[in-house]
Amino acid sequence: MLKPPDWHMLIVWYFFLGGIAGGAYFTAAIADNFGGQRDREVVRIGYILSTLLIGLCGILLILDLGVPTRFLNMLGVFKFWDPMSIGAWMLGIFGLFAFVSSALSLAGRESMAGFRRVWSLIGTITGFFLASYTGVLLSNSAQPFWSDARLMGALFLASGASTGMAAISLLLNLSGESAGEGFKKVKRADRFAMIFELLVLALFLAFLGSAAAPITTGHMAPLFWVGLVIAGLIVPLVMDVAGAGMVPAVVPALLVLVGGFIMRYVIVMANA
Amino acid sequence: MARTLAMFTDTSLCIGCRACQVACKQWNELPVEQPEWTGSYQNHAHFTDKTYRLVRFIEKPKENGELQWLLMSDVCKHCAQAGCLDACPTGAIYRTEYGTVNINQDVCNGCRYCVSSCPFGVVSFNHDTGRANKCTFCNDRIHNGLGPACAKTCPTDSIQFGFRDELVPKAEKRVAKLKEQGFAGAHLYGADSKGPLGGLNAFFLLLDKPATYNLPEKPELPQRNVLADSVFSVGSALLVGVTAIVAFRERGGKGDGHA
Repeated sequence: MLKPPDWHMLIVWYFFLGGIAGGAYFTAAIADNFGGQRDREVVRIGYILSTLLIGLCGILLILDLGVPTRFLNMLGVFKFWDPMSIGAWMLGIFGLFAFVSSALSLAGRESMAGFRRVWSLIGTITGFFLASYTGVLLSNSAQPFWSDARLMGALFLASGASTGMAAISLLLNLSGESAGEGFKKVKRADRFAMIFELLVLALFLAFLGSAAAPITTGHMAPLFWVGLVIAGLIVPLVMDVAGAGMVPAVVPALLVLVGGFIMRYVIVMANA
Repeated sequence: MARTLAMFTDTSLCIGCRACQVACKQWNELPVEQPEWTGSYQNHAHFTDKTYRLVRFIEKPKENGELQWLLMSDVCKHCAQAGCLDACPTGAIYRTEYGTVNINQDVCNGCRYCVSSCPFGVVSFNHDTGRANKCTFCNDRIHNGLGPACAKTCPTDSIQFGFRDELVPKAEKRVAKLKEQGFAGAHLYGADSKGPLGGLNAFFLLLDKPATYNLPEKPELPQRNVLADSVFSVGSALLVGVTAIVAFRERGGKGDGHA
């Protein structure tokens, strides 16, 4: 008789927002290093968004603790084989990277741009980590379904990428930057991420087989198939590829974000 | 490290009196809980943050249809390789010098990763204190030369306490004797230190398959897949990273390059 850990909405929100933070950060850092001047807004929005979100994530996690005032106890120990332990450390390290990148991108001092690029390129490792370790954390438990999923970390990372990029494109759109070259590039990167996510999701389900039943059948199934697979991935992908110009660009971005939330929701709550 | 201590629960001797369950509650000052309907004499259905010893009442008809009781006083296994201990990010869960596993209530911050990591569903979250609870192997008693309250009180010696290296041979003799008497299914669960989880410091003599007692056939360490999952995640990161670079790269001279 196994016991689920009583993780509910605070954790779902953390997994979702942490994925966006990680995804937005490595997207911005890649744009910063491999893009050009026209991607400046992508870079700036990505850094700032990830900094704000990681702060919010920290608050969510502290609130979820049974004894919130003891959150620093996580930093008294380091266990390299324990996703929760490395995760707690990485949350802080990611926060440092994101904060410094944001500050340097806001300062606008071009003399610092070289340092900012190198700093952020190193920081991409923490961004990738933040987006994926939550999946590894779930799959390294004694719970059925979670522990059977070998690709949970890979799937969370793909979703962190697609939602992080969708969040940046949404913010670009809202700030009236949707005509720029940077916007087109984020959309292109997001398209790649969505295709990749669909592939990983297919492999994830194929490897799980009947162990995926808690999300593919039963009361979670409509949310999973309609909310995530169709509305959260296939529809926005089709809109992007075929319907460019016909649908306002905020629509696919919002759909991807809602889909990313639904993914965390069905996976966490399937064992709640 | 001192010699490893162990508890040996011989289910063939259990009469279901629940004295162990009561002794545990009293010694550890665990408050009462609302009983629940379990469809059997068993109460509660599962371990809770206030129930560390739990007598399982399993009704299993024999081949001739006659009802047979299988009784088992269940407890934290104090695994030699403990999933809860490996999962704990604060170091609150520790191994004592006697090989038992304990939760330091002054350090635990209630993250609940141990709850999801226990292969036996033992560790429980206490909503009143916001911390995780489980059997302490009567840590205070064993450090004062006494056995755990449950073993001390057991009127049939179904629960025995002692050094592991002495208890295991004793348990093996008991299995041989039961087999002689016709209990073909008698076997030890968790006694083998080369077996799953490196052996259990609270091990059992069962009369039927582990599944009958709601125990996993081969309990596994939850952390066994960290490496494989991480490798897949890194592969995924490389692919996502490369596609993002492709999407953002400024092509040959057309872009305006870095500022």
